Amino acid sequence: MNGITLSPQQLAVAQASLSCRLFLEGVAGTGKTTAGVARMHYLLKSEIPADRLLVLTPQRTLAQPYYDALRSPDTPGGGVVTVTTIGGLARRMIDLFWPLVAEEVGFQRPADRPVFLTLETAQYYMARIVTPLIEEEGYFDATTIDRNRLYSQILDNLNKAAVVGFPPGEIGERLKGAWMGDLVQARIYDQAQACALRFRRYCLAHNLLDFSLQIAVFAEHLWEEPLCRDHLTETYTHLIFDNVEEDTPVAHDIVYSWLGTVESGLVIFDHGAGYRSFLGADPVSGHMLQDLCDEQRIFVESFVMSGSVTALGAAFDRVLRPSVPDGETAPPIGDAAPLAPAPTADSVTGNNGIRATLHFGNRRFHHQMLDWVVAEIQALVRDKDAFPGDIVVLAPFLTDSLRFSLAHRLHRVGIPVRSHRPSRALRDEPATQTLLTLAALAHPEWEILPSRYDVTDALRHAIHELDLVRAQLLAQIVYRPHRGQPELTPFDEIQPDMQQRITFVFGGRYEALRTWLAAYRTRQAAPLDHFLSRLFGEVLSQPGFGFHRDVDCGLVAAMLVESVQKFRWISADLADNRRPLGREYLEMVRQGVIAAQYLAPWQEEEQDAVLLAPAYTFLLSNRPVAYQFWLDVGGLGWWERLYQPLTHPFVLSRRWPTGKVWTDADEHALRQRGLQRLVLGLVRRCRVRVYLGLSDYSEQGFEQEGPLLGAVQQILRRFQSERGGV
Amino acid sequence: MEAVVFRPRPSQAMVLDYTEGKMGVSAVPGSGKTWTLSALAAKLVAQGHLVDEQEVLIVTLVNSAVSNFATRVGRFMQDRGLLPGVGYRVRTLHGLAHDIVRERPGLVGLSDQFSILDERLAQEILRDAAQTWLRSHPAALDAYLALDLDERQAARVRTARWPDLVVRMATALVKQAKDLQITPPGLQYLLDGFPDALPLLEMGCAIYVDYQRALAYRGAVDFDDLIRLALQALRLDPAFLGRLRRRWPYILEDEAQDSSRLQELILSELVGPEGNWVRVGDPNQAIYETFTTASPKYLRDFLERPDVLSLDLPNSGRSMQSVIDLANGLVTWTTTSHPVPALRRALGEPYILPAPEGDPQPNPEDDPDQIDFVAQSFSPQAEIEAVVRSAASWLSVHPEHTVAVLVPRNDRGFAVGSALKAADVPYVELLRSTPATRNAAGALGNLLNYLAAPTSARKLAVTYRVWRRDDRADEAKRKELTGIAKILLRCPRVEDFIWPRAGRDWLRDLQSEPFWSPTLGEHLSEFRTLVRRWQGTTALPIDQIVLTLAQDLFHEPADLAIAHKLALVLRQATSTHPEWRLPELTEELAVVARNERKFLGFADADTALDPEAYRGQIVVTTMHKAKGLEWDKVYLMSVTDYDFPSALPQDQFIGEPWFVRDELNLEAEIVGQLKALDQNPDLFDYDEGFATLGARRDYAAERLRLFYVGITRAKRALAVTWNTGRLGVAQPSVPFIALRTWWEEEAT
Repeated sequence: MNGITLSPQQLAVAQASLSCRLFLEGVAGTGKTTAGVARMHYLLKSEIPADRLLVLTPQRTLAQPYYDALRSPDTPGGGVVTVTTIGGLARRMIDLFWPLVAEEVGFQRPADRPVFLTLETAQYYMARIVTPLIEEEGYFDATTIDRNRLYSQILDNLNKAAVVGFPPGEIGERLKGAWMGDLVQARIYDQAQACALRFRRYCLAHNLLDFSLQIAVFAEHLWEEPLCRDHLTETYTHLIFDNVEEDTPVAHDIVYSWLGTVESGLVIFDHGAGYRSFLGADPVSGHMLQDLCDEQRIFVESFVMSGSVTALGAAFDRVLRPSVPDGETAPPIGDAAPLAPAPTADSVTGNNGIRATLHFGNRRFHHQMLDWVVAEIQALVRDKDAFPGDIVVLAPFLTDSLRFSLAHRLHRVGIPVRSHRPSRALRDEPATQTLLTLAALAHPEWEILPSRYDVTDALRHAIHELDLVRAQLLAQIVYRPHRGQPELTPFDEIQPDMQQRITFVFGGRYEALRTWLAAYRTRQAAPLDHFLSRLFGEVLSQPGFGFHRDVDCGLVAAMLVESVQKFRWISADLADNRRPLGREYLEMVRQGVIAAQYLAPWQEEEQDAVLLAPAYTFLLSNRPVAYQFWLDVGGLGWWERLYQPLTHPFVLSRRWPTGKVWTDADEHALRQRGLQRLVLGLVRRCRVRVYLGLSDYSEQGFEQEGPLLGAVQQILRRFQSERGGV
Repeated sequence: MEAVVFRPRPSQAMVLDYTEGKMGVSAVPGSGKTWTLSALAAKLVAQGHLVDEQEVLIVTLVNSAVSNFATRVGRFMQDRGLLPGVGYRVRTLHGLAHDIVRERPGLVGLSDQFSILDERLAQEILRDAAQTWLRSHPAALDAYLALDLDERQAARVRTARWPDLVVRMATALVKQAKDLQITPPGLQYLLDGFPDALPLLEMGCAIYVDYQRALAYRGAVDFDDLIRLALQALRLDPAFLGRLRRRWPYILEDEAQDSSRLQELILSELVGPEGNWVRVGDPNQAIYETFTTASPKYLRDFLERPDVLSLDLPNSGRSMQSVIDLANGLVTWTTTSHPVPALRRALGEPYILPAPEGDPQPNPEDDPDQIDFVAQSFSPQAEIEAVVRSAASWLSVHPEHTVAVLVPRNDRGFAVGSALKAADVPYVELLRSTPATRNAAGALGNLLNYLAAPTSARKLAVTYRVWRRDDRADEAKRKELTGIAKILLRCPRVEDFIWPRAGRDWLRDLQSEPFWSPTLGEHLSEFRTLVRRWQGTTALPIDQIVLTLAQDLFHEPADLAIAHKLALVLRQATSTHPEWRLPELTEELAVVARNERKFLGFADADTALDPEAYRGQIVVTTMHKAKGLEWDKVYLMSVTDYDFPSALPQDQFIGEPWFVRDELNLEAEIVGQLKALDQNPDLFDYDEGFATLGARRDYAAERLRLFYVGITRAKRALAVTWNTGRLGVAQPSVPFIALRTWWEEEAT
């Protein structure tokens, strides 16, 4: 398989009997997923039809090794292996069996097709429902949170109810039961509850299915429906379920009842992980799948860490391991079993190992730390022939300015860099701005008057090679709002001297664009997505225009069209839409309700490039590297969990008894445990060395003395005292 | 780095003997309290009573002191062979509150990504809320108009004067309400239950509701919220409090005379009944009381508590004996002879004692002739001219010495700065923001200004000057850059220079000019490359534009740090005003550059100023900012009865505008109403005018202490002047006259 030599343990898993259900566990870096992929190969080579095979992972990115393997030439052809998530499966089944359950679930128009909401369209509807309550009834006065996060947390509560498996009417009571603060504050949970139920009623009335409803309909109705269940169990007789620790209890429940019926199954569990707990991941229920398996295998040998990195991991484990066992906040499983280094590892262990593995640079200001990081990366690439792709720079949060500052510095020294954040807002792309400004110019009836600055910007990006100076000259002269409506003057009506300055080449291109827009204005307005497609296809992608042969712009335009299209589909038949949908979309983008988030297609980016990523995102990409740079080691971000005032991933988990108060001890233990998991998870994905970037002041100018820094200092102090003792 | 030589004086040694419990220390100016407290912190860490994760917590007033403390404790630690940076944490109250709230944001209704609103944005939101209220209630405050106004004047006041006053009242109310932990619904509840109409408070409440809602909408808190919420978090969860108490078994508090009620409450909670708390300060130097909730009474009360060991640090080696005598004389006069008995506690003991015999830091040799109370009656401008002449002359005789001109208000400082500039006297100005912040903001602002108007040759020429601003120090280079800037100014079509097209290349055409040289060509060519790159950034979000420009413009770490901070401030501005583009954001930066905005910068890039770094220059700053600093010669200006009133009937007060009836200070009155309502709505202990009187006294007391602070900045020479004010009716302040009289009597 792709030239990888499997260990005997991996081979034993891959080539296990075709009627065997295996539970494979071990910490990161022990080769479990490699064994999983090999198993998939083995099944295919054993002439199991591909369409009998289902590979489940908690999220798409975790399935990447399976996708890669399926694309490789030595994978047997014929049929298609289904690689999906429980959410993906739910959606497909709802689509297929809609008439079977629509009425039973309570949808008020069961004869119509279901409308699946994306995150942003769900957020849009939530905004419509919640905004009047905030503005007219004073909802959420007792909390400080920006609106868009507020909407997403109410959605998140519904999602938690669905993936954990409790009625959405219990959200408020559960949250209040765990609350120990101000009683006034607790009122917001009642309000969050009311909003959630209103939203749910709205969805049922309009055949809308957000993620929570998709999961609930699948788990509570379709999976119980023999027709649907038989369809699934008969279609898929061989199951591989990887990274079960990152999936939700309801997903585990479904697989639990499914495993008994499959011919073969492989369940893979990563010790010490469970990083998606804020999304409802539950390692405990995941581990219970072991009960349904015939055999259990444990991998203990790291394929990643050298001896010295292993020593570093052990040192971190010693200082970060909670002194008291935590109760119910974190599952008791998944702690690191003693781990053996890679067979090819160096023999350096103990303190010498730590010294060889841990490098740090302490600077006063944040940007000085970034300079240090870049200098070290440069030294690695130039002097030690390290591949940029074998280097990752990690921070607890990757802010835009941090990402930009680092990328900019690395570009300057000629080191390729790629950045991965879970998502990125389309509205931040200049191509999006250009398209939306041109859309406003083409639709005077929307009464949106772009600023001259925006028009300058749009012309500059729309017209190939038009520079900023000429773009502004052009906009100053031709953009004349008239009676509150945007107007563009023809190029031949401006002074000859000015025409010369702008040049006739650019003037001609401008004129083509203007004529197109003017012609469009004489016709009946098309839906915004149609308008954008045409603008892109007929003008902007043509020679002489800014998007011509620009793959990124094309991609952005395509995604924007898709986002608008989805928006139009879901809102087209709503009677209460008085404003033109295009205008509504622009307004929502401006307010940030529709951020037009999209997943950066990072697999298409240059691979041999330094990766900049948030630490958890890197963990979930499951990819070891040789060198890791940890930034802002003094920052509290390493220790903080995602904290959202209207929701609570642990209180809304299956393991939290209703009415039990969430105390400071729970919070503290959770964070300590989180830090330990994060740090060990990172170290286990590191082959050679960890660099620690420290600065006295954070990016915002605050002093930094977080617990990770404390842990590093403890390791160094122990190291110093032990060295002194020798 | 200088070697640390710290031989404690006997009084300091007593402080250093501390091991546990509660201790209060009164320290006179120049008594080395920062050194002593740093040494104490290092000693406590070194004693080994702390286990892993435990820290000595040091709380101080301003960012610059944080940096100062951290450095000193670090040095003491290194002297003891310990790792610096381990076992202690230095914070301002805001920094500490931020730490506390960040640890449990959900406890107080915040999300983990809450932002802290910059002072200016907060003011802007408050102003919007106030204006909205005024529009719908144009005549609601008519009952407070001065009775002698005719209808035309009244109409003018309503449109031109009320808005600012309403904002000031609302600011005072919001600050006080937060200090008293009263939320907008809480205030509304109090008002609803009160039988009579309280128009001031009702106005304040409406604005408070709007303001707080606007903050919540943005997911933001202001600085006062941060403190309020920290205390709330500590009180809500005893387990959290217990954990923090274990983490910080010792709390050392510097500048405790400026402690506010909430600061005292937060620290009391963190210390607990059995905890260890050392509070050091000088009640005579409490100068941050006006428009805040700070008060020296918290330290005074603490010093008098039976469970507190109360010590003095009375020795100071800073000033010559005559300056010490003057300062002590002011204390004696205040406590015994101040014409307003209520102000006789404004200053108090301990008196300043000189350094003991054999002290490594002895007082400068005494020279009573270097004390000068200038009795002459100057106009405001004449006073400035006299001080500028005198300071310039003194500097020419003592070029190796340090000099400061201290003013009571920023606008006076700007006028002094202008006069020094006109007289070509070297000076440095530390008023609202530091020169470093202004220069960085100015440089970036000029570049952004050009990018917002890229067709302008004038702005392009300014950009060139900014790019080569370091060359201004060199005469030859300065000439060259001025020449090139002039050439750029004449560039008829900027696009033909920056982006030449076929047949239109300004740089190439320039080669036929008589002034052409290859060096000129190289300079312009390099500049063009840079400008192209800068123009390429305009599609980026504002913070990324600023960061890119900063990389090309700045080399000093502090400048780059300021640029980073400015980038974040502008980014925050765009989230508040999503419609803002480069022109509006450039204006925002220009506000910082023009010194109109207090900018919270980094520790050593902002308020910290080392007088020793400016030998041979005149430092112009306010008496407030001068606290903690010292100069060989100090000028104290504008010591008039307007800037230093004494709560006498004839005094005028800044807070009492002419258009308000009965000389009421409405900021004080609205706060008075709030306090009365909060204390006991049934009794409602509020009488109109009492709060105004109280505010007068508080202000007069603070100004007395400010005068004391001003005097004690001088090491070897002191000059005090006054002027007749804008209207020509101001008099020297009462303490000025008293001290001058006393000094003359002493001399004779």
